[in-house]
Amino acid sequence: MREKRKNNSVKVLLRLLPGTVRPVPLLFLVFIVITVCHGISWGVETVMQQRFFDQAAAMAGGSASFGAALTALGFLGAANVGCQVLNGAGNFLPEVVGGKVLGHQSKEIHEKIARLSPAVFEDTGKLDDINKAEAGKENAFWFVCDFIALLTFYIPYFLFMGWYLFSLKPVLAVVIVIIFLPTALAQLIRMKAFSDLEDESAPVRREYEHYEACMVSREFFRETRLLGGFSYFKRLYLETMDLMQRLKYRASMKSNLFELSMRILTVAGYVGILLLLFDALMKREVSVGAFAAVFNSLGMLYSLMEEIICRHISDMAQNMGSIQNYLNFLDLEERKSERSEEPGWGDIVLTDVSFSYPGAESDAIREVSFTLKKGETLAVVGENGSGKSTLVRLLAGLYEPKRGSVMINGNDTRKLSLGALTARTSAVFQKFQRYQMTLGENITISDRFRSCEERELDRICDMAGTDRKDFEKGYDTMLSREFDGVDLSGGQWQRTAIARGFFRDHDLIILDEPTAAIDPYEETRIYNRFAGIAKDKSAVVVTHRLGSVKLADRILVMKEGRAVQLGTHEELIGQEGEYKRLYEAQEQWYQEG
Amino acid sequence: MKRALIETGKTYGFLDFVRIPMRVCPFYTVIKMINQAAAAITPSLQVLVTASFVDTALLIFAGSAEREAIWLPLLGLVLLIAYNNLNWQLMSFINLRSEMKLTRVYRSQIVEKRARLEYRCIEDNETWDLINRTCTDPVGKIRGGFDNLMGAAGIILRVGSLLSILMAQVFWAGIAIVAMSVPLFILAIRSGKEIYEENKEAMKFTRRADYLRSVLQGRESVEERALFGYTKEVNRLWHEKYEAARKINTSVTLKYFIRMKSSSLITVILSLLIICVLLFPLKSGAVSVGMFMALVTSTLNLIQMMSWELSNTMSEIARNTEYLKDLTAFAGLPETEGALDLPKESMTFDSVEFRHVSFRYPGTERYILKDFCLRMEKGRHYAFVGVNGAGKTTITKLLTGLYREYEGEILLNEKPLSSYTQAELKAYFSVVCQDFARYQISLEDNIALGNVLEYDEEKIREAAGRIGLSDVIEKLPEGMRTPLGKVKEKGVDLSGGEWQRVAVARALYRPTAVRILDEPTAALDPVAESDIYRLFGRISAGGTTIFITHRLGGARLADRIIVIAKGQVAESGSHEELLAANGIYAEMFEAQRSWYQ
Repeated sequence: MREKRKNNSVKVLLRLLPGTVRPVPLLFLVFIVITVCHGISWGVETVMQQRFFDQAAAMAGGSASFGAALTALGFLGAANVGCQVLNGAGNFLPEVVGGKVLGHQSKEIHEKIARLSPAVFEDTGKLDDINKAEAGKENAFWFVCDFIALLTFYIPYFLFMGWYLFSLKPVLAVVIVIIFLPTALAQLIRMKAFSDLEDESAPVRREYEHYEACMVSREFFRETRLLGGFSYFKRLYLETMDLMQRLKYRASMKSNLFELSMRILTVAGYVGILLLLFDALMKREVSVGAFAAVFNSLGMLYSLMEEIICRHISDMAQNMGSIQNYLNFLDLEERKSERSEEPGWGDIVLTDVSFSYPGAESDAIREVSFTLKKGETLAVVGENGSGKSTLVRLLAGLYEPKRGSVMINGNDTRKLSLGALTARTSAVFQKFQRYQMTLGENITISDRFRSCEERELDRICDMAGTDRKDFEKGYDTMLSREFDGVDLSGGQWQRTAIARGFFRDHDLIILDEPTAAIDPYEETRIYNRFAGIAKDKSAVVVTHRLGSVKLADRILVMKEGRAVQLGTHEELIGQEGEYKRLYEAQEQWYQEG
Repeated sequence: MKRALIETGKTYGFLDFVRIPMRVCPFYTVIKMINQAAAAITPSLQVLVTASFVDTALLIFAGSAEREAIWLPLLGLVLLIAYNNLNWQLMSFINLRSEMKLTRVYRSQIVEKRARLEYRCIEDNETWDLINRTCTDPVGKIRGGFDNLMGAAGIILRVGSLLSILMAQVFWAGIAIVAMSVPLFILAIRSGKEIYEENKEAMKFTRRADYLRSVLQGRESVEERALFGYTKEVNRLWHEKYEAARKINTSVTLKYFIRMKSSSLITVILSLLIICVLLFPLKSGAVSVGMFMALVTSTLNLIQMMSWELSNTMSEIARNTEYLKDLTAFAGLPETEGALDLPKESMTFDSVEFRHVSFRYPGTERYILKDFCLRMEKGRHYAFVGVNGAGKTTITKLLTGLYREYEGEILLNEKPLSSYTQAELKAYFSVVCQDFARYQISLEDNIALGNVLEYDEEKIREAAGRIGLSDVIEKLPEGMRTPLGKVKEKGVDLSGGEWQRVAVARALYRPTAVRILDEPTAALDPVAESDIYRLFGRISAGGTTIFITHRLGGARLADRIIVIAKGQVAESGSHEELLAANGIYAEMFEAQRSWYQ
């Protein structure tokens, strides 16, 4: 078991080492040299102490000169100064190296994410790896540092001390073993005890935290107050608190008692060493100075041993999970990009396209076939969950079909790189982003912050219904309270998102329910303007307000992942079917009388 | 009843880190303090015992003492070793106990205070940040403050006791040390403060970098990120901010290390001087060899302590000072009287009237309602329509007593709204809001929360049935008792639409006179939305209802439609009347209707 874990750690280390060292190889070398010196300096300090004590004792006994004692003191002082300087440098350097390396790695993570298929974000397992990669990367760095410190600081120190003790009296070298055993044993069992505690109390803690949230979090505050539900949740809160505390108490008592017994073992070892030393002293095998110096260094030996085992090794073991997340992330398959030149614009042909989300049992899109003609405006309608949003993601090239094919101007989307696929496409998604950036950046981000004249922005904003005069500093207004700017209403955000979609140079534009937060009057105006600009371009409009579909050339009706109807409004309204049913259900609200 | 630990208007100071645990668990706290003191003087005891041990050993070597004389100092050493190694482990039992007690008492009091706060504290971002800062891990923060204080006292005691031993040997050496240590302390205190300030500066960049990182990594932005392909550009911005923060942080850390290590270097030199000075009495025999060695050891040990422990303690003090400021501000936040009371038994409702009401959110300039007048009466159905931000939701916040600082008058049954208690208001109005609560408790309890005074399983089942939840309940493994959501292991999560129905069922089960639906249906398609409105209208027939919506379909069901614009009632009347009036409503309706022709 131990052997196996060790192998794993070494493997992980070898995997991580190149990426960690590459950004700053020289600094790492300096770091290693310093830590080796640092480790040995503590050993040297003990030796210098012994020399000084011996000289001082000899001086007191009259067998050595004051000058000799003073010289020994000088060496002791020099050793101490050396220790302190190396200690400072040895602790400071990893911080510097860390800052640089972690920044470098974050950059690489961001780039890697951009190369992943967006569908990966729908896969809960892989999403977990992505979300935890950042934390994992940090832990990975400290893992490497800890490992290096183990090899370059702790082991040299213990080797030096072992050698020193051996040279005083061979049997004293056993001291290192006496110190090591109980500490290691205690740590092993402690880790087990705590993971059990975590397993047992985690569900209770989740409940406990939820009940607290029910009373005081923003999400629940208003409703709980108006319902008068405080007492109800307080009761549940106190109940789970009691339960949690009981669990924690039981587990902590167990581990505390255990640790106490381990400590007693440590004390026994300590006393054993003391007696060993004492015996050597009485037999005059070691000098009083050596006795005092070794006795003094015992505290250091113990605390460094605990540092290795309780802090570093246990950190390494605890962080292994999140480091694994990071490694998994690095292994995530990137979207293959055989061709990166743009395919040129034309028809988009879907043939028997099926798509399922990772981990989902059934297909979200089932055998859909149709052609989006160049320059055509297509409306996609259907009930919630009928697959409209998934379909447009396939059209935009964000997802690759599981079965069937999507061809753009005769090019298979699976053979094109993401960049080439999306080069001529713009969109306003249902879940549009509210970038905490300036108004201008919020719009131009869709075309990589392409610089443009204000007139162009004005024109686009006008089309989206955004009025620049609403913003104090015009396009430089920061849209975020957190970063010293202003807050926008839901409707204003939506208009900004529409402007963003319009700004990007495109041949195809997709509007996925872009007007949910906008009032009907405004909505009509936006659609009318949109109809104007979409004339010579392909457009796809997803909506569940059927009224707005009339500006489309054709209408595609989705139901349970299938394309059930396709045609003009007049054609579809004349048939018995899904479209007619939906249309009539809504129309009734707007009939006279 | 004991005095509350969180007192409004109290200025919290360092002593409260002791006072609070003292009041919650005096016994454990006193034990902890005594132990801390004992731990602080053990190094001095160790000096005495080691000295006596070495001296006795030397005497035995010299033949002037019996071998047996060594046993007593040896035993002393063993006892000290045992105490040093076992003491913290033994204390962990006490710590566990006191932490549990503190959680039960202090943490629940914090939660209660939080729940009593005026609603505006929750909606105001700055105050909300303060609340979050103060209330995360409150017990840990109190304990941290306590330990910090004890640590500081411990350092003083430790240094003081060592000094007095030294002074007993060589009087003036002690005085010299004190004189030289003072600047050292000042240096350490100052550096703690400065570092805190500079960290704040770096935080600005870090926050920005963290935000940009979320754009580059987050799931929410994946669609736009992939389509617009802006990773390279945003990554560059991110790196700029990251580097700016990193450079400040590195220079702060460097300064920190330099300060810390210069204080330990000063201590090294100081110790060397002391040792040097001690060599004279050693030579003359005024100080024994054992005492000399013990003193040298303890002075050298001070070095490491002076660097790490002292600077850690100081930066902790700076952090805790900030926490005390937060705690003082938090304790001073205004509370709503009767906020946690249960609703009163059912009240009779006749009318509610807004008379020239003007309102703006605290701390903002813009009036949401301006000279707003409206009268609503029993048994009728109202619909509020209007563009976003017109003030529709604000009206419900005023009615339910969440905000009370309005100008003008609101009369409930012809009496000022402000003369009603929170408990009474809770009995008058129920609201299903846009962001309704998804309580992760059983479906049954979710609905039962609608009426906390009386539990009636039959009525709960009925409310669930009427809103079309019967099928859902049938499919759940434990029926109505199935816990909802993912908090409990056996919990089942519902779809958005199903949750919405649960929230509406809760409102139906509530015995209030007036029911308000504040766009709880935004996530539904228009057909499903209208269904809910229709159902709700039918079920609450005889009661008074208010629908708030910006989709006009549902509004038509109301007896009276109120069009709100610019904080005022712009139009009101029935659907037909408003169409005939040819105003805003007619225009909005026409805009939507035109699509269907």
